[in-house]
Amino acid sequence: MSSQLNNGISGTSAGAAGATAAVLGQMAHAQGSDRIRVGMLGCGGRGNGAIRNCLEADPGVQIIALADLFESQVKRTRDGLMAGEQTKDRVKINDDHLYWGFDCHEKLAKCEADLLLMATTPAFRGRQLMAAIKAGKHVFTEKPVATDVAGCKEVMEAAALAKEKNLAIVAGTQRRHQTSYVETMQRVHDGAIGELVGGQCYWFGGGIWFNGVPEGSPMSEIEWQVRNWYHFAWLSGDQICEQHIHNIDVMNWCFNGPPARFTAVGGRGWRSFNQEQIKTAKDVCRHFNNGSEDNWEKYNGDIWDHIYAEFEYPNGARCLSFSGHSPGTGRNGEKIVGTKGTSNCSGSITGENAWSFPGRGIDPMVQEHKDLIASIRSGQPLNEGQRVAESTLTAIAARIAAYTGRTFTWKWLMSTSKQELVPRDIKSGPGLFHPIATGRDELV
Amino acid sequence: MIKRREWTRRELLRSSAVAAGSLMMSGAAGPLAFAAGSDTIRVGVIGCGGRGSEAAKNCSESSPGVKIVALADAFGDRLQGLKKSFGVPDDRCFVGLDAYKQVLALPDVNLVILATPPGFRPVHLAAAIQAGKNVFMEKPVCVCPAGYKVVVEASEQALQKKLAIVCGTQRRHQAIYVETMKRIHDGAIGDIVSAQCYWNMGALWVNQRKPGQGDVDWQIRNWLYFTWLSGDHIVEQHVHNIDVVNWAFQDAQPETIHGLGGRQWRTGPEYGNIFDHFGVEFIYPNDVRTISMCRQIDRTTDNVSERIVGTKGVCRPDQGLIQGEHAWSYKSPGQEVDPYVQEHTDLIKSIRDGKPLNEGKRIADSTLCAVMGRESAYSRQQFKRAWFLTRCTLDLVPPADLKLSDAKPVPAFAVPGVYQLAGWTPEERAPKAKGKGKKKGA
Repeated sequence: MSSQLNNGISGTSAGAAGATAAVLGQMAHAQGSDRIRVGMLGCGGRGNGAIRNCLEADPGVQIIALADLFESQVKRTRDGLMAGEQTKDRVKINDDHLYWGFDCHEKLAKCEADLLLMATTPAFRGRQLMAAIKAGKHVFTEKPVATDVAGCKEVMEAAALAKEKNLAIVAGTQRRHQTSYVETMQRVHDGAIGELVGGQCYWFGGGIWFNGVPEGSPMSEIEWQVRNWYHFAWLSGDQICEQHIHNIDVMNWCFNGPPARFTAVGGRGWRSFNQEQIKTAKDVCRHFNNGSEDNWEKYNGDIWDHIYAEFEYPNGARCLSFSGHSPGTGRNGEKIVGTKGTSNCSGSITGENAWSFPGRGIDPMVQEHKDLIASIRSGQPLNEGQRVAESTLTAIAARIAAYTGRTFTWKWLMSTSKQELVPRDIKSGPGLFHPIATGRDELV
Repeated sequence: MIKRREWTRRELLRSSAVAAGSLMMSGAAGPLAFAAGSDTIRVGVIGCGGRGSEAAKNCSESSPGVKIVALADAFGDRLQGLKKSFGVPDDRCFVGLDAYKQVLALPDVNLVILATPPGFRPVHLAAAIQAGKNVFMEKPVCVCPAGYKVVVEASEQALQKKLAIVCGTQRRHQAIYVETMKRIHDGAIGDIVSAQCYWNMGALWVNQRKPGQGDVDWQIRNWLYFTWLSGDHIVEQHVHNIDVVNWAFQDAQPETIHGLGGRQWRTGPEYGNIFDHFGVEFIYPNDVRTISMCRQIDRTTDNVSERIVGTKGVCRPDQGLIQGEHAWSYKSPGQEVDPYVQEHTDLIKSIRDGKPLNEGKRIADSTLCAVMGRESAYSRQQFKRAWFLTRCTLDLVPPADLKLSDAKPVPAFAVPGVYQLAGWTPEERAPKAKGKGKKKGA
């Protein structure tokens, strides 16, 4: 264990380099000057945000490696970091620490970074996380952490391994690190609103980008898909998984675990009629098919635009999950209902024990990195892997319930479901297209 | 969607008055307005399809002294069954879209069963009350806010005229529900803090279009699948469960509505323009939020039920079960009375006792909930009930001169995000929820 941790954190002084885990935990990292070498996997919008959040969280953070499917993304990210006043002195990325391609996560795991930040498309998180934990890295992972049942199970395994190896896994479900939430949830768990009997959570947004093929790009069809990952359920998990997981995670937090049973309805309406998106999809179709528009629909994505789900928690409480996209609408938040009151989970409790959060807001997206790094330094690494895998699987379960029209239990999902959407061996080449779910797909 | 506004509410009532103009009955009704002072309930059936025929049988079984004496249907073939069963003479069987007027014009008819497709209900109800008839009407009772207002106004007139209106939301007459609801209202589960209701089931019958069949003719024969006729399945079926939740709230109405829905599996042209699933959140006073879910897709998980959650317990009215501080379960008296018969028993007793039941407003409100859920799902807009009642201009009431031979292309199904909610203006947009959290990937 200590040898892995030696590889994990390196102090600035030569003497610290050989320190044991225990010593590392207690000693000079507290000074805040100790270096934490960070490698970044996934250099898209969120990845670039996460790097900056991490740099802001701790002065000891140094970015030493970047990886992405696309060479252009890696280089652009490095250039951006090198050019930024706030970031340029804290980035030291040699050319041989830039990785791209479908196996970039494996190369990244072999470098000397202590901490890896993961912000690639969620489909590959399980294998990436496993490779990182096996290589002895601490991990910050964006949510969600999978798009299918098999992926969630792989994350759960990686989380168990991380526990064995005393490695940290913190997930980008930042509400868990937001004081207004943390303090409210403490009260909810202490019984401020009585027994929990219901709840609601929402993420309804206006829409999402749709990426075409950049002019002159040599990317293959599947690379374009990954570039446009949000629109394919096997890559993003659908919107309920990709976005709404935040709110679902809060519901699970309220109940200290995932639901026992799932029922849902949903569909795809507007996305199939969005003229701007259709135009781009046709462009992409022509690009990959010698100018032909035959079967352009598959390039228009397969995700739905609304899912209305009910979660039944082990104590019998039934909660609403309400998610989707369409123009001109917006709804985001949570509510938990108890026998003695209600709460918005984020600073307000009504009823017998009415309360409101007196504190000031902090940036939870920085706080999650602070908590992560503090936990590494204290030698008591946070491990949120199992929890975020459960919340991811909760969202995936709702999606499956909606896609199939079937009600099923968590137990069934964990013991029997065979769902695996993401191929083990992904190579540059043709895309992987699935038909749009019908509402009574087969339950796998 | 094609909108026609040939009928305003006032016009409808005026036209009903014309239809009933030759009658002596209007205004002179009341408990003893039975034909020639006899105690016989003489029933005219308007809409003799499956449900109308069943209702007629239920009605005639429900009480002594009930006779089915007149029939009306848009289609001659549809009323043959009842004609034979009850020996209704030819000159009392009327066919066509105007046939209801002929039944209402018969002075000896003192109760009518309204069981045509729901789109016609507001017109028929207004005409029936105008004509001084007691009414049993099937649910739902309207498909749009314009129709709702007609039903509410007719119900008020019925009150004044002491005419009964009972509606085919039979759970309100089913002992297990009645006994359970009494307890909820007496506080057995404390204050209601949440509720869920469902009608998740397979598909229903379809009448395929025949070669040469006219638009209106086919759509009425296949009425389930056209919003202007059925209100969509959330209105046509799920209104039962929504009505139970309203009942639990002692008929308090939701203040805010936000729905989702779509047409995902059942997409063929024979399914007209309705959706195959809805999920709606109804927010009742004191911010009590409820789940309403309905689906018509074959080979999916069935669930038709309601569940009411209180501060002191949980109730399943469909199972007659209360859990919690005041646990209780319904004990059947042995032989359960068919609620489809009981509703007629209650109706006729109320007429004979001179204390006519009037469920018109109540079922109009529950129907309106379903209509609001549908319109919210069609448009993806969240809105207030108050807005819907005062500002929504949607009017699907069929024109007075509608003919079976009329051309009426099937309206396009709603594409959420594209469908325009009638009367909605951008400044009326419901306030956006506070934006929390980061916009990841957005």
